[in-house]
Amino acid sequence: MHEPGMDAGRIPGVIGDRIAGVVLAVLAAGAWWHSHSFATGFMQPVGPGAFPRLVSVPLGLLALYLILRPGFNQRWPHRAALLRQVGALLLLGGYAVFLEPWGFLPASLVTVIVLVRLFGAPWKPSLASGTILTVGLYALFEFALGMPLPNMPGLSW
Amino acid sequence: MPTIKHARHGLAASALLGLGLAFSAPSQALPISECIAPADPGGGWDFTCRSVGKLLLELDLVDSPVQVTNMPGGVGAVAFSNVASKRPADSDLVVATSTVGMTQIAQGQYPGGADTMRWLAMLGTDVGVILVDDESRFESLDQLLETMVEEPDSLAMAGSSGAGGWDHIRALMLAKAAGMPADQIGSVRWVQFDGGGPAVTQMMGGHVDVVSTDLGEIAGFIESGDVRVLAVLSEEPLPEPFADLPTAVSQGYDVTGYNWRGFYTGGEVSDEDYTAMVDTLQTLYESDEWKDVAQQNGLVPLWRGGEEFNDFVRQSIDEVETVSREIGVIQ
Amino acid sequence: MDILTFLAQGFAVALEPQHLFLALIGCALGTLIGALPGLGPVNGVALMIPLTFNFGLTPTAALILLVSIYYGCMYGGRISSILLNIPGDEPAMMTTLDGYPMALKGRGGEALGLSGVASFIGATVATIGLTLFAPLLVGFAIRFGPAEYFALFVLAFATIGGVTSGSLTKSFIAACLGLLLGTVGIDAVSSVPRYTFGWFELYDGIDFIVALVGLFAISECLVFLEDTRHGSKPTMKLGSAIPGMRSAWQCSPTIARSSLIGFIAGVLPGAGAALGSFLSYTLEKRWLGRRGDFGRGDPRGVAAPEAGNNAAAGGALIPMLSLGIPGSGTTAVLLALLLSMNITPGPLLFAQQPEMVWGLVAALFIGNVMLLVLNIPLVGFFAKVLQAPGWFLMPMVVMVAFVGVYSLSNSAFDLYLMLAFGVLGYVLRKLEIPTVPVVLGLLLGGQMEYNMRRAMSISGGDWSILWNSGISIGIYAFAITLIVAGLVFGWMVKQRM
Repeated sequence: MHEPGMDAGRIPGVIGDRIAGVVLAVLAAGAWWHSHSFATGFMQPVGPGAFPRLVSVPLGLLALYLILRPGFNQRWPHRAALLRQVGALLLLGGYAVFLEPWGFLPASLVTVIVLVRLFGAPWKPSLASGTILTVGLYALFEFALGMPLPNMPGLSW
Repeated sequence: MPTIKHARHGLAASALLGLGLAFSAPSQALPISECIAPADPGGGWDFTCRSVGKLLLELDLVDSPVQVTNMPGGVGAVAFSNVASKRPADSDLVVATSTVGMTQIAQGQYPGGADTMRWLAMLGTDVGVILVDDESRFESLDQLLETMVEEPDSLAMAGSSGAGGWDHIRALMLAKAAGMPADQIGSVRWVQFDGGGPAVTQMMGGHVDVVSTDLGEIAGFIESGDVRVLAVLSEEPLPEPFADLPTAVSQGYDVTGYNWRGFYTGGEVSDEDYTAMVDTLQTLYESDEWKDVAQQNGLVPLWRGGEEFNDFVRQSIDEVETVSREIGVIQ
Repeated sequence: MDILTFLAQGFAVALEPQHLFLALIGCALGTLIGALPGLGPVNGVALMIPLTFNFGLTPTAALILLVSIYYGCMYGGRISSILLNIPGDEPAMMTTLDGYPMALKGRGGEALGLSGVASFIGATVATIGLTLFAPLLVGFAIRFGPAEYFALFVLAFATIGGVTSGSLTKSFIAACLGLLLGTVGIDAVSSVPRYTFGWFELYDGIDFIVALVGLFAISECLVFLEDTRHGSKPTMKLGSAIPGMRSAWQCSPTIARSSLIGFIAGVLPGAGAALGSFLSYTLEKRWLGRRGDFGRGDPRGVAAPEAGNNAAAGGALIPMLSLGIPGSGTTAVLLALLLSMNITPGPLLFAQQPEMVWGLVAALFIGNVMLLVLNIPLVGFFAKVLQAPGWFLMPMVVMVAFVGVYSLSNSAFDLYLMLAFGVLGYVLRKLEIPTVPVVLGLLLGGQMEYNMRRAMSISGGDWSILWNSGISIGIYAFAITLIVAGLVFGWMVKQRM
């Protein structure tokens, strides 16, 4: 957190830390409450709910402390950056969805090309590096490491 | 070489022959091309898949290597639900299972019962043992069980399954056979460890008194004399080098506790394919190579296949369910 | 003296030219695999086992090759930790704390070199310890029951404030979050599903590799996306590995202390290499206090976890070989490796197959030396890789992470989970909540909980068992001393400011 030049990006975390504190406090309370639904089980002096409760107490207390005494945050991303990040997440989520039905090669090819674009490269290098990465990874995992990747449907080769 | 991890392609072949070599078996032409191990690499189910897959290839029972897929989760529940929902009719797929998976079904931990799948065969079995430390005050099973019945809360028992799991149930079945009333069973303490080895080590350190686990996992400790075997839970005495170990049956307690290793396949596989798969596994079982692999890993080769195995599984599930209910694991 | 004879024989075999060549290949291959995020020694060695059989190698040759791959993977994990802030596997995580800041300052080559030397020394200390004290240490290790292990984990988490230089509150929040995430899945004792909300995919709990890759690799990618203008420039200067040798000399007290701590943690079968590197780092930070610059690129922050981790990995061989108990994921791999060679570790191994044991020790040592030698050219190679523009490097990291994680369980669910952890990691970074304690909690929480419950099962519900032995009292006293010292020290710093 103290890398050179990073300190400029630090902002007081009054809002961020408080939101995080509330979320964590709710999480701790939820975990505490939900742990009571774990059946104590068969022949145990300490059931499955005890440890989660034991952890959720300090988590809740620390979260409350965070709300009272917020610290510092890193600068949050601007809108353009946020859009790129959301785009990348949607793209990767889509990749996870289509990896099995489409097979590795087509799904990865599309994903990598768009991803390289998102990272700011022009179209031409995107296409080239996307192809190289996809084929390279396929060769590495499928042949060199012997880990099977999903094939294209209907293609058993 | 028992636990050779066999993947589809090795680096050597691929580096020399390049991309053109890539192939996997056409899905319908051969009986078995994929084995799902419902656990991480390294465990018993993984071993079952990898050793059987390797032998199938070595014995020319399949043309191309059997692909092993690890699908851990929920003590086999993830693989079970995956096969039930996505691949019920795949006639080239087998899934490794064992008594542990069966216990899960009996206790309602899988999304479905035995009818969801077709049970192919068991190829071998591990045998339950009851152990104490070599310096323990218990010299015989009688002594141990007497103490257990009279002062159930004076003992801490350990094993590799959770409370109510197979290791625990086997030990409680012995206590029941020794005349422990059902309402007392809850006062015997049970400690779960991550395997038979850790449980035995903790016993050697004096932290627990008795261990109930599978022989295969801890055979080294028996041979080295660090532990004393009070009972082996098999019908007949075991082959050498364990022939001297006393069975529970021979000491007057009619309790057996095997942990078999076998396979199931999807519930919609045709009779024809099912028979072909069972035949393939039987050929494998009858080979000398399998006998060697089994023995090296503390398994006793034991065959039950096809309908006989199907009936056996159902019957065992009923039995485990009854015992689990009697001792209160399930309500 | 028998031991030394066997050891000498082991070395004679390991030093044959053909075996040295295999060790070289193994180290290079392993380094490549280990450097890929999501692939560490565990899958690296598992993947390579078939290869050795395809080659038709003798058992000794195969052992040397696999051990070299194992060490290569461990070292490869450091490369991505130091240069990209993305640990390839769990033992490499602590190295990011000071390794990455060093790389940002243009001292990445030095950090890599130092890491190589520290690892080498840690592993050597462990090898010597193993040779001299193995039977003695087994006796010590079995005295640790569940209550003593629980005390050990309490010590580990009590010092977690030492992991990062940020806010203490936030470090503890992160640790609690990790511990809570660690309870997700089927409870091993009672078979009750916890916080799974009906998803079978969660029944085996959250795989820490998925969490690790998400928290580090995916969130790093999101950070990078904030500003893509620097994408076409090379990311950083690397420097040479040579200064690493000199700073290793300067760090030698740290390396010595950390090797010892790591070795002890490794000998305890329930603790493992992760705890070894974790405790080495935090205790060293406490020890040096103000004299250190931890978290901002202090070379000792690289030396400590590296020496500790490798000493722990070596120490873990003792329970693994003599009791057949793998203490951690990485020793579990070695166990699987030995089993695949028809060597069954257990109480009789030392007596029945001493040539195997000492052959293995020799192989480990050779692998280590080989890595040290490879270190210098490898740094040059990775400097080249880092010259690739960010818009190529980052998508590559992301894709390798995806494929690596997918290959672990063949489930798309793990990919969604990894993305979720990526977002979590990004938000935590922005909040200045450190991510390392989250992974530590996730990784060690299960053992901490189960040992507590085992102790309670043994005592039949009597909590006093937790502080009923000399060993546990000693550990708690040590933990309290450290906390009090930390508080007093913090107060003194505040007074000065």
